[in-house]
Amino acid sequence: MKPFLLVLLLLLTVRPLWSQSMLTGRVTDERGQPLPGANVLIRGTYDGGSTDTTGAFRFSTSRTDTATLFVSYVGYEPATRPITIGQTPALTIRLHELANELNTVVITAGAFEASDAKRMTMLKPIDIVTTAGAGADITAAMNLLPGTQRVGEQEGLFVRGGSNAEAKVVIDGMIVQNPYFSALPDVQSRGRFQPFMFRGTSFSTGGYSAQYGQALSSVLLLNTTDLGSSNGLTVSLNLASAGLTYDHTSARSSVSATAYYGNLKPLFALVPQTVDWFRVPTYGGSSLTYRLKPTKNGLLKLYGMYSDSQLGMNVRDMASETGRMALRQHNRNLFVTSTYTDQWADGRWTLNAGLSYSRDTDQTRFDSLDFDRSSERLQGRLVLSRQLGTGTNGAGTLLAGLEAHSIGLGNTVSGRSYRLRDNYGAVFVESQLYLSRHLAVQTGLRAEYASSLHRANLAPRLSVAYKTGRYSQIALAAGQFYQTPDHRYLYRNTSLTFERADHLILNYQRIYNKRTFRIETFYKNYAQLVREFTAQPGQPEPFDANPYRFPYGQTTNSGSGYARGFDVFWRDQQSVNGLDYWITYSYVDTKRLFQQYITTATPTFIANHTVSVITKRYFEPIKTNLGLTYTVSSGRPYYNPNRPASQFLTDRTPGVHNVSFSASHITSLKGNLLVLYATVDNLLNTQNVFTYRYTADGQTRYAVGPQSYRSFFVGAMLMLNKRATFDPSSL
Amino acid sequence: MKTLLTSLVAMLLSAGMPALAQQPAENPQYAQAMTDALTTMNNRRGQPATTDLLASANQFERIAGVETGQWLPRYYAALNYIYLGFMGADAASKDRYLDQADLNLKAASALAPNNDELAVLKAYVAQARMVVDPMSRWQQYGPLFQAGIQQAKTLNPANPRPYVLEGSSLLYTPAQFGGGTDKACPVLKQAMEKLATFKPASTFAPAWGKQQIEPMLTKCN
Repeated sequence: MKPFLLVLLLLLTVRPLWSQSMLTGRVTDERGQPLPGANVLIRGTYDGGSTDTTGAFRFSTSRTDTATLFVSYVGYEPATRPITIGQTPALTIRLHELANELNTVVITAGAFEASDAKRMTMLKPIDIVTTAGAGADITAAMNLLPGTQRVGEQEGLFVRGGSNAEAKVVIDGMIVQNPYFSALPDVQSRGRFQPFMFRGTSFSTGGYSAQYGQALSSVLLLNTTDLGSSNGLTVSLNLASAGLTYDHTSARSSVSATAYYGNLKPLFALVPQTVDWFRVPTYGGSSLTYRLKPTKNGLLKLYGMYSDSQLGMNVRDMASETGRMALRQHNRNLFVTSTYTDQWADGRWTLNAGLSYSRDTDQTRFDSLDFDRSSERLQGRLVLSRQLGTGTNGAGTLLAGLEAHSIGLGNTVSGRSYRLRDNYGAVFVESQLYLSRHLAVQTGLRAEYASSLHRANLAPRLSVAYKTGRYSQIALAAGQFYQTPDHRYLYRNTSLTFERADHLILNYQRIYNKRTFRIETFYKNYAQLVREFTAQPGQPEPFDANPYRFPYGQTTNSGSGYARGFDVFWRDQQSVNGLDYWITYSYVDTKRLFQQYITTATPTFIANHTVSVITKRYFEPIKTNLGLTYTVSSGRPYYNPNRPASQFLTDRTPGVHNVSFSASHITSLKGNLLVLYATVDNLLNTQNVFTYRYTADGQTRYAVGPQSYRSFFVGAMLMLNKRATFDPSSL
Repeated sequence: MKTLLTSLVAMLLSAGMPALAQQPAENPQYAQAMTDALTTMNNRRGQPATTDLLASANQFERIAGVETGQWLPRYYAALNYIYLGFMGADAASKDRYLDQADLNLKAASALAPNNDELAVLKAYVAQARMVVDPMSRWQQYGPLFQAGIQQAKTLNPANPRPYVLEGSSLLYTPAQFGGGTDKACPVLKQAMEKLATFKPASTFAPAWGKQQIEPMLTKCN
């Protein structure tokens, strides 16, 4: 009996040790919705289970005492719960979603981003090259976005009532002194940079960050690609140019070298030109890109380019007897930039440093008159930023930086030469704070000094964004923006001050299921704009409509103006299978008193209504990407000398319509990738008029239109590259 | 001479001993857990596929949480998340699964540096990332895919899985971009040959590939 009792006793005491307790419960999100597939486990043991489709879990454990229950689910903050096994009833565990791009607000007012890295963007970098009517030109692609004006006879970005001088192009934080080929009378010049160089583009139509200055209306921020990925030679040939690119990539560095030569003779022979060229434009150049990753997070980027171009054209001269003048131009452009970025302490500290130099000279002759021009800019930039906090609440970034520029400018006007050296410096601080996942506030302050003005300014900036729903948000941006006046005014008047613009922008956007809707309304106030007075004493103010005249009058900062309006953007990549289309509409109402304007008026570069419809589709059976773009702008004001001063700039040109088409086809040639592309601009051969000009006596009016009406362009690119992979949509 | 030989043998043996001792003794609990987990992974239980895959990934992550010196539980957890990366409801959720795959892969690589199977997974993750948005991601992830494949082949020329991935990727790449059956079939056949002779390093070491490419090989010839 006794041994039996002992065994029984043993069994009784041992049994609980081997017994299995069952743990049950449910895992849900904040709103009580089940989370299927969540991991539930007891810390330090194999014991655990996963939730089923109803969010329920059930597993057994051999533990008997207190333990820690650990619950995790992808995209949610893990939770721990102390439990006492055997005494714990069915548990309900609520998990909180981690901050992600869908549930966290982003600062958006005024900004249009094209990025691969961020998912919630309205454009991809590839859109710049695949859009018909953009001609693979970055600025032309931006001109299809809401808030911009298409001014066919001038280059640059005209944003929300601003002139092209009010927009700056910034590459990796460095201002580009000459982003476009030299301006020509009534001929639009292209940008100097290839879209393939950039992995991210952010186009601001106002209210931009305190990190940037010297632009009254807009900054176009271009970020160059990181380490390269291809090896081998690429040959390109089209109606205007031939080029060679050699790429070499190793584990920690990459080099890309390009050389090209262009001659517009073949193109001009096929496409009739409205411009009278006596020396067809030719150009040649080269560029070198070097990337080095010296440390895990560090990246050094070096980019240098040099180009040389020559041309000769007969331009209309309203004053001369022949009615025309021979313009000869020889441009040389050098641009070298280097940037270094690095991160420390798990990415909490980030450094961005840059140094760049550019020099541009134009040897220009109008008949025998000398109109040479030169500019150079040396700039340095240093930005340090610190990540704050880790969660969402109170998380953010604090940033401080400085930049210094030394700008040298020179103009020769009929033998008389003007020189100017401007030393410009700026310091800025900016904080971006997430008060919650729904509310973000960005505040910034920028202080600038320009030696040419002997003046400083202080520009505050503010941006707020609030998430109104899972897919929508509203945002507000406000700030003051300063710009040094056109340097040609500063040659003769050193008592001028900065020109100023104040922005207020309100934005709503909704991105859901590959459909984007965005509406933005803005008000801009212009102050301290430079006015020029050329009248003889006692005479009324004359107006010279020649946009290339050299300002010789008295100047003051007494100008002012306003711009207000709204723009709408709709993009849909979902409704029609394979079709990607976007529609933009911009409305602007603006008036200003500046330059030689006699009275306050809507400037000549303004079209009140602008619409763009962009479509593209890849056709698998023919391996071809096709795009069709339609743009229309309402008429712009032009100067009619026969009107009295009270009707200054009241005449309007007819509207401008353009339908353009693009196609790119990918095939292979002896195992090498071959890309063929063709574009047709102004498919309907519309006789567009950009503006009108009058002869000196005011009797004859002539129209200024595009360089050519219906025109086409074809080209090919061959990649002699074993490892190159290429995508159908990249051209 | 004889003494020298015996002492050499003794030295070699004594040198070999600690190495043998460092081999993780096949912990029966670990072996059982891995057997169970691999059984779960290979047998669907009628729930939606994502729930099943998550449950399998969870099971391996639970083992990994206890067996902090084993890289295989991390490997299989990552593999499950890669499958999920192809199946997620939208781009954001696919990327979230692949983030989780990366986390497991990183933990596994710390335990087993220069491992050919982990190099295969790196290529696999890169492929899954690219598939999320091929138009704008090929440039970034294409080279990473190639690098992973290359690394795996160099580390272990006998491993069939880099060939499995490379062959299936080529099969689904259009001919004008360097893919197509002409390019894919030789690689797939190579993969099949290697699969026939491949000996997994241990009981739980990766052995997949055959099921994946068998239907593809019907497109060859």
